[in-house]
Amino acid sequence: MNFMASKQPENSLLGLESDSQRTLYVTCLISIELGSSLDVRYPYVTGTSVVALKYKDGILMAADMGGSYGSTLRYKSVERMKPIGKHSLLGASGEISDFQEILRYLDELILYDNMWDDGNSLGPKEVHNYLTRVMYNRRNKFNPLWNSLVLGGVKNGQKYLGTVSMIGVNFEDNHVATGFGNHLARPVLRQEWHENLSFEDGVRLLEKCMRVLLYRDRSAVNKLQIAKITEDGVTISQPYSLKTYWEFSAFENPAQGAIGSW
Amino acid sequence: MPKEQANWSPYDNNGGSCVAVAGADYCVIAADTRMSTGYNILTRDYSKICKLADKCVMASSGFQADVKALQKHLAARHLIYQHQHNKQMSCPAMAQLLSNTLYYKRFFPYYSFNVLGGLDNEGKGCVFTYDAVGSYEKVGYSSQGSGSTLIMPFLDNQLKSPSPLLLPAQDAVTPLAEAEAIDLVKTVFASASERDIYTGDKLEIVVINADGIRREYMDLRKD
Amino acid sequence: MSKSVIETPPKGGFSFDLCKRNEMLSKKGVNPPSFRKTGTTIVGLIFQDGVILGADTRATEGPIVCDKNCEKIHYMAPNIYCCGAGTAADTEAVTAIVILLCLCSDMVSSQLQLHRYHTGRESRVVTALTLLKRHLFNYQGYVSAALVLGGVDVTGPHLHTIYPHGSTDTLPFATMGSGSLAAMAVFESKYREGLTVSSPIPFFWSLIFLFQRNEGIELVTEAICSGIFNDLGSGSNVDICVITKGGKEYLRNHLQPNPRTYTSSKGYSFPKKTEVLLTKIIPLKEKVEIIEGGDAMEE
Repeated sequence: MNFMASKQPENSLLGLESDSQRTLYVTCLISIELGSSLDVRYPYVTGTSVVALKYKDGILMAADMGGSYGSTLRYKSVERMKPIGKHSLLGASGEISDFQEILRYLDELILYDNMWDDGNSLGPKEVHNYLTRVMYNRRNKFNPLWNSLVLGGVKNGQKYLGTVSMIGVNFEDNHVATGFGNHLARPVLRQEWHENLSFEDGVRLLEKCMRVLLYRDRSAVNKLQIAKITEDGVTISQPYSLKTYWEFSAFENPAQGAIGSW
Repeated sequence: MPKEQANWSPYDNNGGSCVAVAGADYCVIAADTRMSTGYNILTRDYSKICKLADKCVMASSGFQADVKALQKHLAARHLIYQHQHNKQMSCPAMAQLLSNTLYYKRFFPYYSFNVLGGLDNEGKGCVFTYDAVGSYEKVGYSSQGSGSTLIMPFLDNQLKSPSPLLLPAQDAVTPLAEAEAIDLVKTVFASASERDIYTGDKLEIVVINADGIRREYMDLRKD
Repeated sequence: MSKSVIETPPKGGFSFDLCKRNEMLSKKGVNPPSFRKTGTTIVGLIFQDGVILGADTRATEGPIVCDKNCEKIHYMAPNIYCCGAGTAADTEAVTAIVILLCLCSDMVSSQLQLHRYHTGRESRVVTALTLLKRHLFNYQGYVSAALVLGGVDVTGPHLHTIYPHGSTDTLPFATMGSGSLAAMAVFESKYREGLTVSSPIPFFWSLIFLFQRNEGIELVTEAICSGIFNDLGSGSNVDICVITKGGKEYLRNHLQPNPRTYTSSKGYSFPKKTEVLLTKIIPLKEKVEIIEGGDAMEE
């Protein structure tokens, strides 16, 4: 209550002007409804972009292994892609602990599904749908899981690639990316992706995206994994690094030939 | 503690425009297929149109996660209805259900802007237009979403409907033939995508008439 | 009345009183008109024997496109051009930014012109750079312009970016505006030094120059298109400006990748006009006494 009283100019309750004010107003009302103060927690250790695409035989996904503590590069061997059940692969950016919590939920989900012992198993579409509901449900409780998730998989010859954000926005596409990848990788993917990418071309395209991200995303690190999922199952590569080029002569001495330009 | 994030918001606006036009024996419902956040395009091919019953279709823009939740909720309610009544829900009944569903979340609204279109029990086209918290109205044509401010005045100009204040109440259905209505909808979206940055990529048109439901697509600007 | 005003007479320079006032007001809950972003993609690139600048042509006001074909590459001097992006402004976003950039570039281009009259020499890019950054630094970021400045002078081709606070950068390739990341993705994956330059060029700066003209134009076009198609703030057409030693080529609407998608075959009519209520014309002279000449302004 106090929160509302202090932030809202008294007379503006009738004429809420901006969207942000309206959101604040609604937010306040909700906190009253729930009888609690806002429950939003902010992230500690975070991973940056995940990039994924469909290729001829399945899905390819790439993520680097950095774990940032704010702007500190705190962890350098974080695995952000994991197989889920028989047919799915999950990649995550955002809060690492929340990701590990999600993996626990999914382990349980897959376990309980196996216990039916009916020969059926959850496919990527089902797992993705489950994740969208979990994410949306937590945003409804004002206690979001601070992640953007990418789910890829193949079942019965059907390729599947989708994503969910921390507030539950979800969609499928031929290629997806989270975080900075949305700004830097997707333009490249939109230009170069096509239906019949071979495995080698797919990896090359992903590496191209990861290299752009490495150059321009400050929290990206040059240690990444690429994961593949096909009808035959999941393979996640050993960590490796990309070749980079920093030797443009103009970068070495920028002000040369432009004296006085600092 | 690293706390760089700005105030967290449970909402986002994923953009997009929806239009519905009712005729004497048809209803045209259309929406673009762009889904965006901020200045970013998330995907160029996301359908905003959802078939709720045999003769009832909803187009929604706003916050995608809320829209999806709303669609799932209505689908579930419609399934229960079918079990209980052994028939499809009529369009006006679905319209009331949608209103109630939206108002149920009055203090934590679904951030979704809907138009509902279909055929009523006499086979006549009908359109219902909503705000985010469930107030609704039966009209002859309507537009919702990010491009509605550009689209609505044009529709008003081309499809003058009788004043709802007239007594006895006049029929709001538009005088156009089905093909003319589709042409109008295409024009309106081509124009909206010229000036509204959140509208574009592709247009999905759903036509409901006595023969059933039909879908059409048309390309829009991709910039 | 307020003492402080009388006690400290202004010493010249700029007054930031209003900034402090605005800060105070927003603390007390009186919010200024919301700040809006205006989208743009602008890029620049150094190639074999000059500089290529590029820009999209969309101007937005919030979610609405208010100009589908505006010019964002401004004239600075015959051998220097400048692309402008407004990063943020108040409610008159675009108008303000467009005017502001025009004013900004007009002011600087006039100063450069005067400087040329004075010295009788071609302007240098660093001179334009210094004038622009001084101006922006003076306003502490409140003149919210982000610029890509390019030109060829006696010391060779140069490319700079200028940020709203006045900091500058010297780069072989640069992007700015809301589409900068989309455009940078293209540069970062396709820019190479020494591309298809078959024999080394005898000039001392030759190491830096990489592209044949057409390859340069193609890459810049691709970068702008990347902004146009991936960033909602950017759109419409591609403008290009190629500056080389002793010449320039302004390619207005070099590419028009976004034609209208549908036009109704029968067209539309807008039947009713505003009703004419009165056609009588009353000459103003009969109503008002007009004093010709006179000395009304003098005491």
